[in-house]
Amino acid sequence: MGVRLLVFTGLSISLMVTDARLDTLKPLRAQMSLIVAPLYWLAGVPGRAWDAATEQFSSRSELLAENEKLKAEMLLLQRRLQKLAALTEQNVRLRELLNSAALVDDKVLVAELIGVDPNPYTHRLVIDKGEQDGVFLGQPVLDARGLMGQVVEVMPYTARVLLLTDTTHSIPVQVNRNGLRAIASGTGYPDRLELRYVADTADIREGDLLVSSGLGQRFPAGYPVATVTEVIRDTGQPFAVVRAIPTAALNRSRYLLLVFSDRRTPEERATDSALAQKHVDHQQTAAPVTEVKPSTEKKTEPRRKPVE
Amino acid sequence: MTIHKRSNTELIWLSLFLGLILSVIPMPAFLELGRPLWLALLLSYWTLYLPHRVGMTSAWLCGLALDVLQGSVLGQNALVLVLVSFLVQLLQQRLRVFPIWQQCLVLLVVLGLAQLVQLWLYVLAGNHPPPILIYLLPVLVSALLWPWLFAILRGVRIYGRVT
Repeated sequence: MGVRLLVFTGLSISLMVTDARLDTLKPLRAQMSLIVAPLYWLAGVPGRAWDAATEQFSSRSELLAENEKLKAEMLLLQRRLQKLAALTEQNVRLRELLNSAALVDDKVLVAELIGVDPNPYTHRLVIDKGEQDGVFLGQPVLDARGLMGQVVEVMPYTARVLLLTDTTHSIPVQVNRNGLRAIASGTGYPDRLELRYVADTADIREGDLLVSSGLGQRFPAGYPVATVTEVIRDTGQPFAVVRAIPTAALNRSRYLLLVFSDRRTPEERATDSALAQKHVDHQQTAAPVTEVKPSTEKKTEPRRKPVE
Repeated sequence: MTIHKRSNTELIWLSLFLGLILSVIPMPAFLELGRPLWLALLLSYWTLYLPHRVGMTSAWLCGLALDVLQGSVLGQNALVLVLVSFLVQLLQQRLRVFPIWQQCLVLLVVLGLAQLVQLWLYVLAGNHPPPILIYLLPVLVSALLWPWLFAILRGVRIYGRVT
């Protein structure tokens, strides 16, 4: 009995070390995930049944109210969209004047949430898109309201997403109002991020919107991340304590967006656009460059630790 | 008439399978903190009463499945479950004759020990340490759940003729 304990302990420890330090166990993990993935589906059955039941029996007045609300929301959004078209056009023109690469819309893929990590101390989700759908390690994940997190494990038909609020996650952000840069780290609470190393005198206020700055070259720039809820300035401390609440509905969203953004560095983008410009000049055409193919080569090696 | 010689071991596997599902089923956040250690409880019962069917090997395999399911480092849960299985086997002679409340107390200690190892491995894997008293809450919940689980599994074992 003691021998067996020793054998199994040794096996487990060597497995843990190989899994944590090397990549050799990845195929095995992928195979095993194929076998146990249906378990997630099974575990979700009661929740889905409950959802279906409430949907079936939700009252007419509720539905009408929701319909009304959605209509109002749509009207608001459409008004914004009208302005947006003009603004996008203007933006493209201005960028052409500045001779920088055109900002193409990011391509997105809709994924559905199929599981939540049962460990209450980590914030991770399982989604129904995987390697077969082109999901890659470190891919940014959004919902309708803002950034949610990034992909940390890719399996053949599923993937695991680490949320912004996990204690091991940080994201470079910018205050939308004045461009102040900071790093937002997860705290382990689903509704709180903390900005690290913000100077006491920094211009940051309650209600400021934080957007991704794109500096870590992992997240695309300009997506909303969080809203500042609390700024505590203590002159005795070297840094101010800034707390923010994520704009994305981290624990409520069912449908997520996987972003395929331009993953090139600014230098690559500049050379690419210069090449494109040369090409256009060569062809003697007047049409402006509107689309630049995202390069497929991977610049940075995927890291295991998603800390930026 | 021949004696029925089937041992119905599939019922054991079915119960362990259910345990796997229960350990990942979505729950409200406040209940999640006290999620019972289903697999450890089930493995303890089967190791205690059918030691020739379920032992450290099954515990290790279940642990591996749980690792893949939870996305933890491969071998983490496996090691913890093997430890539980080993301790239960070690105490088997005494545990089987204990009254149920005493079994609860012993399991409290055994599972608590396992959970501490779990915590240790969890932090070793590079995570922030959670508050330790809350981390031990599942152990208390599991120990309180033992008499009910015991009754159910006993029924399964006897009426399902699992030998």
